[in-house]
Amino acid sequence: MAEEVRVVTKRMREHTEDSWTLQRVLDTGGYDGARKAVVEMAPEELGGEVKSSGLRGRGGAGFPTGVKWSFVPADVSPKYVVVNHDEGEPGTFKDRELGERDPHQLLEGMIIAARAVGANKAFIYCRGEFALGSRRLDQAIRDAYGAGFLGEGIFGSDFDFDIVLHRGAGAYICGEESALLDSLEGFRGQPRLRPPFPAVKGLYGQPTVINNTETLSTLPHLILNGSEWFRQWGTEKSPGTKIFSVSGHVNRPANYEVPLGTSLADLLELAGGMQNGKEPKAIIPGGASAPLLTSTDVALDFESLQEAGSMLGSGGVVFMDETTCMVRNTLVTTEFFEHESCGKCTPCREGTWWAVKVLERIEHGDGRQEDMDLLLDICNGMDGRSFCPLGDAASWALRSGVKTFRDEFEQHVAEGSCPFGGGERVHVGARVGATGLGEAGITSQPAAGIDADSEPEAAQP
Amino acid sequence: MSDGKVTLTINGHDVEAEENRLLIDVAEELGVYVPRFCYHPGMKSVAVCRMCLVKVEGSRKLLPACATPVTDGMVVDTVDEEAVDAQEGMLEFLLINHPLDCPICDRAGECPLQDQTYKHGPGSSRYIEPKRTYEKALEISDLVVLDRERCVLCWRCVRFSEEIAGDAFIQLIDRGAGTQVLTFKDDPFDSYFSGNTIQICPVGALLSKPYRFVSRPWDLTSAPSVCSYCAVGCPLTNEARAEKVVRCQALPNENVNDFWVCDKGRFGYHYVSSEERLASPLVRTDADEFEATSWGRALDVVTGRLRTARRIGIIAGAHLTTEDAYAVSKLAKKTLRTSDVDSRLQDAGAPYERAAALSGVAGSTATLNDLESARTIVWVGPDPKEVLPVLYLRLRKSVLEEGAKLIVVSPRRISLDAIATHVIRCDVGGEAEAVDGLTWGFDTAVAGDVGDPLVVCWGPSSPGRDEGPIVDAVVALARNKNAKLLVCPPHAGSQGMIDMGVHPSLDPGYTPSDSRGKDTRGILQAAAAGELDILLLIGADPVADFPDGGLVARAFGSGVFTVAVELFPTESVAHADVVFPSAAYAEREGTFTNLERRIQKLEPLTAPPGSASEPWRICSRIAHGLGDDWGWAGFNDVWTEIRATVPTHAHVDLTWAGQESRPLSLHYESPFQPDPTHGRSVSAGPGAGYPKGHRSGAPFHTGQNWPLSWELRGFEARQRPGIIPSRPPEPPAGDDPVSPAPAPGAPAGDDAALRLIPRTDTPAGGDASLRSGTPLSSAFASEASPSSAKGWSRTGGEDGDSPEVKAGKSGVPERSGESSPAATWHSVEDEFPSFSEGRRSFVLYTGRLLYDEGAMVSKTVALKSLARRPFVELNEEDAKELGLSEGDEALVGGNGVRATLEVRLGDIARGAVFIPYDQPGWRANSIIRGVNPVVEVRHP
Ligand SMILES: Cc1cc2nc3c(=O)[nH]c(=O)nc-3n(C[C@H](O)[C@H](O)[C@H](O)COP(=O)(O)O)c2cc1C
Ligand code: SF4
Ligand code: SF4
Ligand code: SF4
Ligand code: FES
Repeated sequence: MAEEVRVVTKRMREHTEDSWTLQRVLDTGGYDGARKAVVEMAPEELGGEVKSSGLRGRGGAGFPTGVKWSFVPADVSPKYVVVNHDEGEPGTFKDRELGERDPHQLLEGMIIAARAVGANKAFIYCRGEFALGSRRLDQAIRDAYGAGFLGEGIFGSDFDFDIVLHRGAGAYICGEESALLDSLEGFRGQPRLRPPFPAVKGLYGQPTVINNTETLSTLPHLILNGSEWFRQWGTEKSPGTKIFSVSGHVNRPANYEVPLGTSLADLLELAGGMQNGKEPKAIIPGGASAPLLTSTDVALDFESLQEAGSMLGSGGVVFMDETTCMVRNTLVTTEFFEHESCGKCTPCREGTWWAVKVLERIEHGDGRQEDMDLLLDICNGMDGRSFCPLGDAASWALRSGVKTFRDEFEQHVAEGSCPFGGGERVHVGARVGATGLGEAGITSQPAAGIDADSEPEAAQP
Repeated sequence: MSDGKVTLTINGHDVEAEENRLLIDVAEELGVYVPRFCYHPGMKSVAVCRMCLVKVEGSRKLLPACATPVTDGMVVDTVDEEAVDAQEGMLEFLLINHPLDCPICDRAGECPLQDQTYKHGPGSSRYIEPKRTYEKALEISDLVVLDRERCVLCWRCVRFSEEIAGDAFIQLIDRGAGTQVLTFKDDPFDSYFSGNTIQICPVGALLSKPYRFVSRPWDLTSAPSVCSYCAVGCPLTNEARAEKVVRCQALPNENVNDFWVCDKGRFGYHYVSSEERLASPLVRTDADEFEATSWGRALDVVTGRLRTARRIGIIAGAHLTTEDAYAVSKLAKKTLRTSDVDSRLQDAGAPYERAAALSGVAGSTATLNDLESARTIVWVGPDPKEVLPVLYLRLRKSVLEEGAKLIVVSPRRISLDAIATHVIRCDVGGEAEAVDGLTWGFDTAVAGDVGDPLVVCWGPSSPGRDEGPIVDAVVALARNKNAKLLVCPPHAGSQGMIDMGVHPSLDPGYTPSDSRGKDTRGILQAAAAGELDILLLIGADPVADFPDGGLVARAFGSGVFTVAVELFPTESVAHADVVFPSAAYAEREGTFTNLERRIQKLEPLTAPPGSASEPWRICSRIAHGLGDDWGWAGFNDVWTEIRATVPTHAHVDLTWAGQESRPLSLHYESPFQPDPTHGRSVSAGPGAGYPKGHRSGAPFHTGQNWPLSWELRGFEARQRPGIIPSRPPEPPAGDDPVSPAPAPGAPAGDDAALRLIPRTDTPAGGDASLRSGTPLSSAFASEASPSSAKGWSRTGGEDGDSPEVKAGKSGVPERSGESSPAATWHSVEDEFPSFSEGRRSFVLYTGRLLYDEGAMVSKTVALKSLARRPFVELNEEDAKELGLSEGDEALVGGNGVRATLEVRLGDIARGAVFIPYDQPGWRANSIIRGVNPVVEVRHP
């Protein structure tokens, strides 16, 4: 029987009623890691510990965190730490839960990161739709100031540290780190040309460390217990535990924390197996950007998934059973990317627009035999040629849909309709109408969700 | 490699290039053109169109050549299968939503998208869905039309507006496939530089309103030229269809304008083909009417007069070419033996000759490129954005890109304030003191930023005031700090005029004249006093330009025999007895000398109307008629003589290679090019090169800074005694600043194309009417309260007909004739001891705005409507004391003339008002009397 290993999710799972309050946090060892980092350890030691732990970023790219920090020049100030709490990857909802249920753990991680790179100010870029999460974070920041964990001379040291909470305005691209910085600075959220990389020239042109919420939330435990302890889980190249957001046709969709390297089959088992005892037909292993898998016989770590032709990404795992129309799935995913394309570069802007049109035709029975190759050509036009990874990712998802389920596509074309009975048009999220049709076309996201004050029924395993 | 050079291979060719240059440029110089849309050498790379992807060995992905610096050992293949696939794919993407507008698009025939589609694109489209549509052809300003459907979202226009012009009126809105270029609601594309976006737009998305549907590019003939407006001298191409100039575009020149021109230069060509141009000589008949006549007869009349005339005055305009200037100078000083010749009208108070105290050169010792290498730039002058727009861009670049520190000395807020390190807000006339402060380091905070290399810029700012003390202070600063000086005269021909000795005390090459002649003011005063036999106006319009409307009116009122050489029947022409039609800049060969002494060439494109001719030819014909045969048949003869007789210009070489094969090329090859100190060689850094296939493809160097003395071995002008005035020149003989003067002659209405001013006209008085039709009912004094009336109240009943003034108790001297002492700076308090009784009298600080009522702008349909109505700008505190607020109307008066102007509150020194010099409806020179004018402002 597969089991969770709860490190980052420990407090929230054990104290579901008040894991976000300062009192509970203090009762459960909170801020010990941060205190140790500030009071007992030298910044270089912190960096060294994180480097030797082999911790890799949990935001999607899996870049080794300690290495990233080491790019930050020592002799330039001010420096900044920015938390990427914009979690927008479809199928991923772990950062949301971390922000809502254990905001202090994140603050603690930020203190450690800031101390390590010598930053005195940090920003949390919080996805606009996270209403509850942003309130909890806000409260946590206030409480931490009150307790002397933030502000001047924290933990009685000479280290000053401030945190600013910033809410985004609803764009997936603002999760891309350089677009995030532009957005944070008040500009149109679009990726920046690199180099220079944020570690050298980031927020306001200053060296900036950008890390994902989960990455930072891991730090208190890592610092408190050491890198050897951390490496007891996972593989050589993917050490530690990782939260996977499981959804789709499973019995218990939720976030599960397991050691990296756990098999997909075990994760499915943790989530209660497929609904109605069916078999998974397609699996997205790492958020919508990740190419589809058809088998659960793969280990969930960075290397294995890459070998399997997909990626670990953000850890959003979606299981789909045989009732799923894969044309429609590809359409929905591609529509997402088309909707979220920032429009800066040609291939992503035009390629996603075009692909959606073609997919819509196929799904609605107007497909042509040559459309599948056309879609693959569109993928080639975007892949590796876009300005930022969004365009690449759009092509991966699309290509894997067409390639893996080409027979389903061809069936749509041959039958002139969707064999799954998909008649009505599908739209991602709250989007209405077709994009890009000038004034009439784009309707902004309805406010619903942005400030809706509902605490989600976080599925408890 | 240690010498900053790297070696790489592009398509199998080994190339050496400077480190850090962009691959796209290095390839282009090798003759390998990488297709592109977003890259523009004048702006930073953004790498968004993805058209320039190339294969670089060792890189998994294709790399954008426009954002990839060359490195040592790099192996590049731009025609690799994968790269070509990417380029073709990108074109296909760009075309899916591109309308098939070529048959109705102005760009067709010179469109990079069209060209690249021919070269790299697919024959037909695989896109079968409906295209993205937008409302077509939005007029986003009075000059620019936007068609969003054609836009390829290359960001060039947006980047230009933000990065280069600094006024981000045009932006990208929305996202994804809905991204579009647009202006903000109710906020038109109101930029002085908007036309550049049309030129750099790689498709027909941004269009010139005046040129729209006018011509196909293949029907155009073109010729290189130079802008005829301001002293920056931006190189241009003029393009004509059916003998009519219909378009004008920037020619890139890294040394002058980079890639840009201002909208005045770009759209200001209509005047050339205006119906109102003078086309034949005119003489005034006995019946006081103009009659078209032959050149022979008109010349006879003029030479007949000249033969007997003893007292001759010549005023030339600063829009003439260097050759014209030489001819005017020669006509005056050699043939007619008079030094009563000047070219300064709006800048009448600007003693350029005093700049020679620094180096022997009555002009700049700095070049525009020096601004970019300067550590500190000091600006003392008008708002460059209004009068020398592209200089403003160069200054902006120097500060924002090159990190120069900028110190601005100005009595009022100007565009440069926004980017300045220090702004010194002084009183009007207090500039000199402020500059002295820099020289002696009084303000340590500011002085600490006065670094080396230092460039000190000065340009005359407020027409009508004496700039002498400012020039002296500026020269002292430059000398003290071993700085270079950038002298910024206003007009395209200004510097050429000074160089060629159209100046009362300087002969060609700055040799002091044997006898000091009369300057413009002196000539007009002589005319007014009946002491002038003949007045020659060569491209000069004192009625519009000279900053003392009353004096001009008296000068013409005296009935002096006047000969005018002009483009248009201006208000000054209306006073003339003989008129010769002049050829315009697009109709002639010639050169302009810009503010950094760069000599650039104009090529003729269209034929002048009728028998209009170049001013130098007219001068030479007059001289010939007087028995002095100069033997000039053409442009080259003039230059042969200039080289032979003007020591500073002895080495100017006007041969340029390959004219035929490269119609747009303009190389002045000389021993001094490329100039190691001034020129940047073409291969110096990103920015060189220009998209081939673009119509503006042109070399980077046009013109030549004629060499400074010390740069020229064997040329010892600098050491020659006498070139540096040993004592400051006497101040220009000035009108008594407080002497009364009648208002200028009633200016002709808009409809009066060529209104003769009857000989019997007396100088019109205060009842002159505004051109707008607003009656100028009376002198201010008649309504003014006693306390305010002192200084300029007049005795006598009717306005304007009693040129006597009661001296105030200030002790201002009674009017003592035209030879009153020099203008000195007098504060308002001196003249108006009743100051405390209400702040009503102000020092007038005026200046031109870009779009004004100048003859050329106002005859240009596209720009005419852009000129703003006149206004008066006041300090907020002053306005409060007067009970005036923004948008109110105020009465402004001076010189027995008054007008109702809109109030604007501004950051201007207290006690001063700013009034634009020449806006439609009203000319500020009508209220200017004497030097350093004072005006009165009150609540209506
Ligand atoms: C289109 C796009 C969207 C992204 N969205 C997120 C996101 O929502 N949250 C996140 O942490 N990282 C996101 N990333 C990854 C970030 O760019 C960045 O790699 C990450 O925040 C770094 O943090 P880490 O090293 O801790 O993972 C996104 C990347 C791309 C290209
Ligand atoms: S790939 Fe291009 S258009 Fe797409 S999000 Fe990135 S920069 Fe924007
Ligand atoms: S309007 Fe022209 S210059 Fe501007 S983004 Fe579109 S194509 Fe480029
Ligand atoms: S800046 Fe001056 S020279 Fe250049 S285009 Fe404008 S007016 Fe002409
Ligand atoms: S990406 Fe290089 S020219 Fe556009």
